[in-house]
Amino acid sequence: MKHTKKWLVAAAIATSAAVALTGCTGATTDDGAADSDITVGFSVYDMQYEFFQAMAAGTKEAVEANGWKYVEHDEKSDENEMVTGAIALLDSGIDVLIISPFKPDALGSIVDHAKELGVPVIVDDIGGGGTDYDAIVVSDNKDGGVQAAGYIDETVQALGLTSKKVVSITCQPDAVYAAQRNIGYEDQITSLGYEVATSLSGDSDATKAYTIMKDALAKDPDVSAVFACNDDMAVAASNAIADAGKVPGKDIVVVGYNGDPSALEAIQAGTVNATVAQDPNGMGKLTVELAKTLLDGGKITFGDDENREVYNPVTLVTSDNVADFVK
Amino acid sequence: MTSADVQKRTPLTALADRARGFHLGTFWDRWGITAVFVILVIAAIIIQPGVDRGAFLNILNITSLLKEASYLGIVACAMTFAVINGTFDLSVGGQLALTSIVSLLAFGIGGSGLAIAAAIGTGIACGLVNSLLVTAMRVPPFVATLGMLFVFRGIGTLLTADGPAKLPYADFGSVFGQIGKISFGGIPLVFVIMVVFFGVGFVILRRTGLGRQVIAFGSSPAAAKFSGISATKIRFFVFVFLGLSVGIAALTYVTRIGTADGAAQDGFELRVITAAVLGGASLQGGKGSLVGTFSAVMLVTVLNDLFRDLQVDSAWQRIILGCVLVVALAIDGLRTKFPGFSVFRRVTALRDQRMASAG
Repeated sequence: MKHTKKWLVAAAIATSAAVALTGCTGATTDDGAADSDITVGFSVYDMQYEFFQAMAAGTKEAVEANGWKYVEHDEKSDENEMVTGAIALLDSGIDVLIISPFKPDALGSIVDHAKELGVPVIVDDIGGGGTDYDAIVVSDNKDGGVQAAGYIDETVQALGLTSKKVVSITCQPDAVYAAQRNIGYEDQITSLGYEVATSLSGDSDATKAYTIMKDALAKDPDVSAVFACNDDMAVAASNAIADAGKVPGKDIVVVGYNGDPSALEAIQAGTVNATVAQDPNGMGKLTVELAKTLLDGGKITFGDDENREVYNPVTLVTSDNVADFVK
Repeated sequence: MTSADVQKRTPLTALADRARGFHLGTFWDRWGITAVFVILVIAAIIIQPGVDRGAFLNILNITSLLKEASYLGIVACAMTFAVINGTFDLSVGGQLALTSIVSLLAFGIGGSGLAIAAAIGTGIACGLVNSLLVTAMRVPPFVATLGMLFVFRGIGTLLTADGPAKLPYADFGSVFGQIGKISFGGIPLVFVIMVVFFGVGFVILRRTGLGRQVIAFGSSPAAAKFSGISATKIRFFVFVFLGLSVGIAALTYVTRIGTADGAAQDGFELRVITAAVLGGASLQGGKGSLVGTFSAVMLVTVLNDLFRDLQVDSAWQRIILGCVLVVALAIDGLRTKFPGFSVFRRVTALRDQRMASAG
């Protein structure tokens, strides 16, 4: 009898938990309902990062501007969650899958399943994993590198620097899209008559970039500019220049990539000259535009046909326009 | 004197309860989590989340769900053995990552056959390492498996220093790639593997001397020792069995995900232990149920699926899952009079005392 009483208490706890559970899940069912039979599913890399928040916001805006329904899934930087969640999106009956994959190599079973269901897949950034996706949107990284080179040339002349030696710090070699930044930069700066004295991989890592810049300065003290594949490395290179007794931004032009807050601050402080900002919001909008083209039976114009790449423009951020990017 | 009174009365009340035929406590022990799972499924069918062909009952959704459950379930089954035995293995996440990597690398070298053999072999090898540490070197299981978690993940990271191991997209059609893909009328092969694994586990645990020794050792190591049960033999079996389960689970996991690196499935060990504990296994050993673990695995998987379909924020997903676990254990605590509930016990003891003196 004692046990039965105890059991009533336990059952009460269980019931209230169940009610709380259904109550809390039930509340979210009615959001995002629009009058349309087209639903776009967006599986996002990780909503903890500002970059992907902006990407999701852009995607959502564009989807809703078309009067379509938007469903979102957060991969939470987990390949299992990515596959399971994206497949659940497909199973739930979406008409287009847009995905920024945490692990491009894990796209296989997702794209496979989408093909079986006849749902087009548009990859947003990161990489396509060699799968059969319909299109991939990436920042125009090569053009970003070219813009950086042009800016460096102008600034070097404006500052009255005479040396034609420059440094290039790359990301890890297997990041194929990021590698385009330095390829664009090195090609352009060489054609402008400069010599790339040092070109080494900093593995996207600030500490390594610092060492590379220090060594580069020991080898060629008269270097006039450095371009780094990401902003952390650019800031580190700037520190290395200061520690070597030179004035970063004046004696040596420093340009980074991404438009991270760290670089924006450094641009305001004058220790970094410029960065190239990607536009995740615009990338999100572009994926939806491509989705519309596919659903209307149209053909996508690729920037690179072989890899079905579509490029999204990037913006050079200097002290002139940095205020627009600081939040 | 009062506590002695209560204790003396307990067997009598228990007998009286049993005599009534249906005892809620016994029912909870055996079918509690299964009942919760059934209620959740009914709730899911009523809510019917999803977009348009989207109902929860949609065959595609069920197939995906069963696929997702299988790798967790297979390891949770073996983990239940360990928990019943009074121990647990914190290294299964590392084992799964390493086994998946080795299996993918083996596929690149020798195709499907070698990949399958490599997965099972690596799993067993990992289990053997843990077994030897625990039995021959006498390292406490908590420390041994925690250490090996880092070691296995570290080796995995070394093996994938040039980028994650992967199953090329073109090879998704190979025998190996098909493991994660084939399904029979909506029932995926990987789920069949999981059910068979649970079946074998059930037979070993409940129908063989080995299984009874696992339970006996878990409920009282001292008593088991006096009855001639070898602690070394039992622990050795438990950890190798876990390794084997990870080997099989890796096959169902990696053929679906297609890529792995040293950081793959971070926190897997905790999800597995959660499933075993939610299924009614007691971390103090001696108690646990494979039916319960099976239901718990399905419960967690369905819950995750509902969260996704209902677009529940990931922070809330974690909070709810945590609460489910704690509530389930709170119920269990009340039921088994876990020492933590002394206030509650004192109240009931007082009441019993009063009733005893009144009656």
